[in-house]
Amino acid sequence: MNLKWGDALHTLGPSLIQGVGVVLEATIISFLLANLIGLLVAICRLSKLKISRGIFVTLVEIIRGTPLLVQLFYIYYVIPLLLDGLFESLGMSNPNIQFSALAAGIAGLSINYGAYISEVFRSAILTIDRGQKESGLALGFSARQVLRKIVIPQALRNSIPVLGNYLVMMIKDTSLLAVISVSELLLRTQTYASQTFETIESYTILAVVYLILSLPLSHIMKLIEKKFHISN
Amino acid sequence: MIETAPKMLEISNLSKNYGQNHVLKDVNLTVRQGEVVCIIGPSGSGKSTFLRCINLLEQPTAGKIYYREKNVLDHSLNVSAYRQKVGMVFQGYYLFAFKNVIDNITMAPISLLKKSRAEAEEEALTLLTKVGLANKKLVYPASLSGGQKQRVAIARALAMHPDLLLFDEPTSALDPELVGEVLKVMKNLADEGMTMVVVTHEMSFAREVADRVIFMEGGYIVEQGKPTEIFENPQNERTQKFLARYLK
Repeated sequence: MNLKWGDALHTLGPSLIQGVGVVLEATIISFLLANLIGLLVAICRLSKLKISRGIFVTLVEIIRGTPLLVQLFYIYYVIPLLLDGLFESLGMSNPNIQFSALAAGIAGLSINYGAYISEVFRSAILTIDRGQKESGLALGFSARQVLRKIVIPQALRNSIPVLGNYLVMMIKDTSLLAVISVSELLLRTQTYASQTFETIESYTILAVVYLILSLPLSHIMKLIEKKFHISN
Repeated sequence: MIETAPKMLEISNLSKNYGQNHVLKDVNLTVRQGEVVCIIGPSGSGKSTFLRCINLLEQPTAGKIYYREKNVLDHSLNVSAYRQKVGMVFQGYYLFAFKNVIDNITMAPISLLKKSRAEAEEEALTLLTKVGLANKKLVYPASLSGGQKQRVAIARALAMHPDLLLFDEPTSALDPELVGEVLKVMKNLADEGMTMVVVTHEMSFAREVADRVIFMEGGYIVEQGKPTEIFENPQNERTQKFLARYLK
């Protein structure tokens, strides 16, 4: 077997470094959005309004019941068509809406992870001791202030270990964005491997790059977890 | 004289039902400024529920509560503003676990009374000194003993400058050797003229500190009077029975 590690590193390497940039961009933006979505959905699901609870339960079930891959195709290919149809019926001629692949990918990751993270936040909020809320109320905080200043800060801290897992999972799930033509790591590797037939070298390098990304991250999350841990 | 001090709290015909379960039945109580009222009685007699109705942590089923002649059960009442004036100390302390001692105390004054951090911290330190815990200001609740937690909880309630403090069995969760330090803080407060309603099983505290002792059982106020009357010459048979078990 004649492996061309030097060639692969020399040509694929710089391309993958650019790919890492894309992966980090997609992960950072999507993770922040997913947390925001997760928190909002969790709060809406805990609302006293039956309608609000019902709507968000259904949405979360739809997202969790379909694969992320299918959701990405749906956002990238189907939603623009639906919007086109909608605008046409409103009298606009040939609107031809299109999302950039990266934007569609970020939307897909944010919504998908948001649905899962909302469950994390919801159960974290529910497990905050009732006494914490009551002592806040007794001091004169409104129910809303109690949620914002006392319950949510503690729920977020308690969620950090699980969120760390999701962050590492998300970095790896950015590889799915290859299917909607985001030039992240997998797509770059595939292209290179199919042109050069340096299959072993290319995919081995790719795997190592993912490891280099995710291993330190797990470690950093452990440190953050330690820093924010609340002992009771 | 307490008997002529202005009425702070006037509660009449207060009832609380949970479905068919009648926890409070037609309870009447007036608390005057500077008065210390201790509520004693067996577990499940409605003492805690009564206290929780006073600051509306429980919504009474029927009856009236007037605070400084304002109707507390009126829907237009600003409940949060009312609660700022009526502090509460819980059996389980309920310090905010994610904040250190001084932040526990300054949190409400800073966001509700709009105090500057410097001013709130200075005041918190004074309160901590008063409860004997100035050296613990930067510590997190998890590393405090139960007695220390409860003293911080009292300082936290005092930081809002309440008119009235409610104590819901403040020493019942404590190891026996830690009860004294909390009762001492409470006694000092009483001596300074704080108006207090205290649900307690500490008979010697009630006897020594209370202006009035109330015996509750089965959701009723069975008997009330000066500590000497209740403890030395209880009129009602049920009070006699209850006290016989406590005061051997």
